[in-house]
Amino acid sequence: MSAVLQPETVKYDETIEKAIEDIIDSLKGGYNISKRSIAVLLLQGDDEIKHMVSRLEGDGWQRISDILSETQKTYNEPLSYIMAMERQKLAWSIADDIVEEDKAADKSINERLSRLTMSPITGIPILLIVLYLGLYQFVGVFGAGVVVDFIEGTIFEQYINPWINGLLIQYVPWPALRDLIGMDYGIITLGLRYAVAIILPIVGTFFFMFSIIEDSGYLPRIAMLLDRVFKKIGLNGRAVIPMTLGFGCDTMATLVTRTLETTRERVIATLLLALAIPCSAQLGVVLGLLSGHTAALVTWVVVVIGVLLLIGYLAAKVIPGERPAFFMEVPPLRWPSLSNVWMKTYTRMQWYFIEVMPLFILASVIIWLGNLTGLFGLIISWLEPLMHALGLPSEAAEAFLFGFFRRDYGAGGLYDLQKAGLLNGRQLAVAASTLTLFVPCIAQFSIMWKERGAKTTLGIVAFIIPFAFAVGYVLNKILILLGVS
Amino acid sequence: MGKKANNKNCHTSGNERIAGLPKIALVGTPNVGKSVIFNRLTGKYVTVSNYPGTTVEISRGKGHIGHCEFEIMDTPGMYSLMPITEEERVARRLLLEEKPDVVLHIVDAKNIKRMLPFTLQLIEAGLPVILVLNVMDEAERLGIKIDAYKLRQKLGIPVVVTSAALNKGIKELKQEVADYVGSIAA
Repeated sequence: MSAVLQPETVKYDETIEKAIEDIIDSLKGGYNISKRSIAVLLLQGDDEIKHMVSRLEGDGWQRISDILSETQKTYNEPLSYIMAMERQKLAWSIADDIVEEDKAADKSINERLSRLTMSPITGIPILLIVLYLGLYQFVGVFGAGVVVDFIEGTIFEQYINPWINGLLIQYVPWPALRDLIGMDYGIITLGLRYAVAIILPIVGTFFFMFSIIEDSGYLPRIAMLLDRVFKKIGLNGRAVIPMTLGFGCDTMATLVTRTLETTRERVIATLLLALAIPCSAQLGVVLGLLSGHTAALVTWVVVVIGVLLLIGYLAAKVIPGERPAFFMEVPPLRWPSLSNVWMKTYTRMQWYFIEVMPLFILASVIIWLGNLTGLFGLIISWLEPLMHALGLPSEAAEAFLFGFFRRDYGAGGLYDLQKAGLLNGRQLAVAASTLTLFVPCIAQFSIMWKERGAKTTLGIVAFIIPFAFAVGYVLNKILILLGVS
Repeated sequence: MGKKANNKNCHTSGNERIAGLPKIALVGTPNVGKSVIFNRLTGKYVTVSNYPGTTVEISRGKGHIGHCEFEIMDTPGMYSLMPITEEERVARRLLLEEKPDVVLHIVDAKNIKRMLPFTLQLIEAGLPVILVLNVMDEAERLGIKIDAYKLRQKLGIPVVVTSAALNKGIKELKQEVADYVGSIAA
């Protein structure tokens, strides 16, 4: 241990070192990092540091500023580049000395799998398999089917609802108050039932699946795979994360659009989330609704994806702003750790309940008020001709009105109509497509307002409502022309 | 006054601290496991994912190391001391303004070559840096061996090896932090 090694530090060339020395001499202020580091950052053109130093040094700044511009004049390339190269040289020489790489080690399986997920020929089928197993089978069939049936059909409909309604009838003499708490659309029988019986299983299974996909490192690979398609619709691969999250909850996804780089991308992503990405609750009910009609299901998928691509493409043309380049580091594929997946699902569910639950209750109260005052009856009577124009029965109007409060209330309303035998295949396809495109739910609307501002949000909604009905109208006409019923 | 007296030996310098606690800042490139280490040191949970950019804001928590209590700060990833994006600016501002007592520079051992320039910048800045070679399990699987002792001598700063996701090396990391803080106080 007698030979005390001098630690290796970065040394730049003579001119730069001289400039650093001169700058250090001129720095009189107090700084939390070394003056050498301040000088180095200044030479590299760091604006924030320049700002700070010019404020602290006052009159002394002029001299420093002169040193900076004079030093840069000596070089053809930016100093930031030259100095970064110098650091890299030292870093690499240190690394070569301490790192030993066994080239024979097996890295092939991971890398081969990684490449398969990103090349279009194999990547698209892999993506479809993941979507089928993860989204359709696990979230749709298991979460929205098995678990919802149990909590909703068994626990609520057989035990909680009859019990609450029985209590209300026995102890509450005012029908209006009964309706607020229980009965068809009450806080407990509608708001709480939806939150616990439908949302909890669907969103829970979705977040669980999403966390596994997230931790495996698959998302950045989807981003690479879909970057080209996304560029056509005014986004880039980075938007894959909020857009896929939208299939879980569009409200949360709208928040996550913060991670996009430009305002333009955030607006386009917000629009597409509101228009064409059904959330897991809605997806679950729509899949249940259309599962018996393969043709209607295929029509719905084609229409929604078609609208997503078309509107994205047009929005990209219309909305001004720069298009950022896409750069994302692709992490290694990893086995997700179950405890982290569990923890993350749990914290997301917690967020969801704290943020969104009050809005469910609010929706119940508004529906109650709407029914009580007769306002809803009036709006439904206005909507009826619109329904007829889409080739739908009058009863569908109620489903559309409720669709605004929760995306899935609307689809849920259709479910009842279908059970009653009021809808044929064509009507199912038209109604499901229109409802999917139709306005975001109240929670998403309020987050859009908070994140994007009033003007953008109202603009988006003013576009979506007539557009959704127009698509439904055209789709109905086309299907009739083709002789579909 | 009593609380301060208890924590007396934990102070690294004469600085008066608002919370009375010495501070540890976790910095490094995106997706190297800063948040995992934060969770390990504080027992709190911040969201961890396998993609860059999971953390966009600074998270703070408290953790016990040795006989001291620390304020531990998790930061969004940054590629170098010179920020480009807003998240990087947030992370650097913390280094400039909060005078951390220890800066843990967390790197992905697999990519040490690419990450060392940032370590050099932190050393140049005179910050109290400990280098943490994380994700060592994956590096070993890829046949990458790192001589941490030699690296420590070359850089003149403590170097610790961890696989935080597997909870490996965390005890050693805590020991290193405790020694480091002790050596500066002495």
